[in-house]
Amino acid sequence: MPKMWNVYESFQALLEAGPYHLAFEGFLLVWVIWLLVAAKSRPRPIKLTKKEEEQLLAEWTPEPLLSSAPDPEHPALNTRTVKGKLGHYVDLGSGPLLNLASHDYLRFSEHEGIETAALECLHQYGVGSCGPRGFYGTTEVHLALEQRLAEFFQCESCVLYSYGFSTMASAIPAYAKSGDVIFADEAVSFCIQRGLQASRSRIVYFRHNDSGHLQQLLEQQAIIDSKNPKKANATRRFLVVEGLYMNTGNICRLPELVELRHKYKLRLFIDESCAFGTLGPHGRGALDHFNIPMSEVDLIMGSLEYGGGSTGGFAAGTSFVVEHQRLNGLGYVFSASLPPLLAAAAKQMLEILEAEAKDLVPTLQHRASQLHSGLAVALPAKMCVSGSVISPIKHVAFKPSSGLTVKQQESALHRIVQEVEQRGVAVVVASLLRSKEVCPPPPSIRLVVNVRLTDAEITTAITAVADACAAVIEAEAL
Amino acid sequence: MLLGGHGEVNPNSSWHSSRGAILSYLTGVAVLHVLLLSIPIFSVPIAWTLTNCIHNMASFLFLHLMKGTPWHLQDQGQARQLTAWEQIDYGRQWTSTRRLLTAVPVIMFLLACFYTKYQFNHFVVNATTLLFVLVPKLPQFHLVRLFGINKY
Repeated sequence: MPKMWNVYESFQALLEAGPYHLAFEGFLLVWVIWLLVAAKSRPRPIKLTKKEEEQLLAEWTPEPLLSSAPDPEHPALNTRTVKGKLGHYVDLGSGPLLNLASHDYLRFSEHEGIETAALECLHQYGVGSCGPRGFYGTTEVHLALEQRLAEFFQCESCVLYSYGFSTMASAIPAYAKSGDVIFADEAVSFCIQRGLQASRSRIVYFRHNDSGHLQQLLEQQAIIDSKNPKKANATRRFLVVEGLYMNTGNICRLPELVELRHKYKLRLFIDESCAFGTLGPHGRGALDHFNIPMSEVDLIMGSLEYGGGSTGGFAAGTSFVVEHQRLNGLGYVFSASLPPLLAAAAKQMLEILEAEAKDLVPTLQHRASQLHSGLAVALPAKMCVSGSVISPIKHVAFKPSSGLTVKQQESALHRIVQEVEQRGVAVVVASLLRSKEVCPPPPSIRLVVNVRLTDAEITTAITAVADACAAVIEAEAL
Repeated sequence: MLLGGHGEVNPNSSWHSSRGAILSYLTGVAVLHVLLLSIPIFSVPIAWTLTNCIHNMASFLFLHLMKGTPWHLQDQGQARQLTAWEQIDYGRQWTSTRRLLTAVPVIMFLLACFYTKYQFNHFVVNATTLLFVLVPKLPQFHLVRLFGINKY
C-alpha cells in the first residue's frame, strides 16, 4: 500500500521547490487568470471623431440604381418570338424558316412516339414533381429512366439531374475539392467552367484538343509532385473534357487522353452532352465513337437537352462513384426533380435511339459532312467553316487573317444572320458571356445539322449562308 | 442547441459550446482521475501524473492532430485542412470555449505539481505534455504546422 498523501507535506514541498519550478508555475498561474478574466474576443470598435464622421458623410455620394443605360443592341432587349412549335421549320413572324439553330440533332422534339409517352405520363402524374429527389420528387419514371440510362451507357449506375447546365456544374464540384488539381480543355462549355470554378480546385487549362500540351502540363505537375510527395499523396488529379465541343464543333482526342489518364493516374470526366446521339455506332457519344470501354473513364456526364430532345441531365459511372452525388451533387439534392413527363419522354427517346441509332447516326454524320464540304467550297475567302467533318455542330467564322476586331466580327455576323433569314434559313450567332468565359472562341455563326435535312435543304442552306456572307462582306467592304 | 441544424455551416465549430459540453468534459476528466486513484498500486502522485498525461494525449490527438469533420460539408474541402481546434468558433480567437479549453490543462498541471509534491521527474513529464497541448492552442500557432508535421 503506497504511503498516504497529506496536504502538509505538499505545502512543505512547495516551499522547497526549485526556483525554476516556481517561476514556471507562477507565470502559468498569472497567465491563466489573465486568460479567464481579461482576455475577451471582442472586435475593437472603430471610434471616429465628430469631424471624421462629418467628413465621411460629406464624401459619400449615392450610386445610381442603374449605372448606365443598357446597350440598345443587348440581346435581352431584342428577343425574338417563335410562333408555334420549334421544329424542323420555325416561324419568326415572316413565314417558315429552315431551322439550323436548335440543337435537336435527331429531331426527337417532334417525334410522335415520344410525345405520346410524355402525354400518357402527364395524365398520370401531372406536370410538376413537387419536390427534390430526396423528398417527394422521385417517381417510378425517374428510377426507370436512371436504370435505362445506366443500361444504355453500359454503366452500373446513373443519376438524373433536372437541368442540363446544373449537371456539369454540380457533378464536378461533388468530387473535386480545394487542394485538388483539374486539367481541362480551354474550349469546355460554360457549364463546365462554372463547375470547375465551384470546385475551388486549382484549374489548369490546356490548349484545345492539344494532348501534347496536356502532357507537358502533366509533366510539370509530376515534377511539382516529386518535390513534395506528401502533398502529392493528398492531391487528386482530374481531367475534364467534352466528347464533342459545343464551342468549336471538334471531337475530342479520347484515345490519347485515355492513355494519359493511365500514365498520370488521372480521374477522367467526360461531358457527352453534344456527342449523345450524334457519335458512335450506338449513339452513346465519343467513347462509343472511339470504341473505348466505359471503364476507361470515371464519370460520363451529359445533357438530355440537345440530342435527347427532352430536359435534364445525367451522370453515369460505377455505383461507387455515381451514388456519391445523391448527397453531394448540389443540383441533385436541392433542385425539384425533373417533371415526370419529361423523364418519360427521355425514356421513350432512349428506346427509339437504341433501336434506330444504326441508321440515325450515320445519316446525321453524312448530312454533317455534306454541309461541311459544301460550305468549305462555297464560303467567301475571308470566312471558313470549322469543326470536325462528321460533327453536327459547324462554326462559320472569319479567318484570323481577316484582321477584324471581335466587335466588328460580331456585328458583321449578326448582319449575316439577318441576310440568311431572308433567304429562308434560321441560324444564330453563338452567344457567349465573353467577359466570363475563360478562353472565348472567336465570334461565329453556329449551324446545327439534323437527320431530317434533305439534299435540297442542304443545298439551300449552303447557298443561303454563302450568299449572305458574300453580300455582307461586299456591302460593308470588310 | 441543435447540432447541424439549419444554417450551421460546420457543426464541428460549435458543438463545444452546446449546453452541458464543458460539464461533460470536466466530469469525464474527474471520472478518469477517480478511476486511476482507485487502482491500489498507483500512488497519489502517479495517479495525478497519469490523469494529466492521458488527458493531454487525448486532447492533443482529438484537437490538434485530427483534421476535417465527420460531416459532409458544402465547403469544398476547406475544413479538410483544419484541425478540430482550428475549426472551433470558425477560427475566432479568445472565445470563451477556447479560453476554457486552454485553461483546463494548465489548471490540471498546477494541481498535478502540487499533488506530486513538486518532484522533478513528475514535473518534467507533466510540463512536457502540457506544452504539447498548450503551444498549438496559442493564437500565434493558428494554422501553423511546425516542421511541416500533419501538413497534408
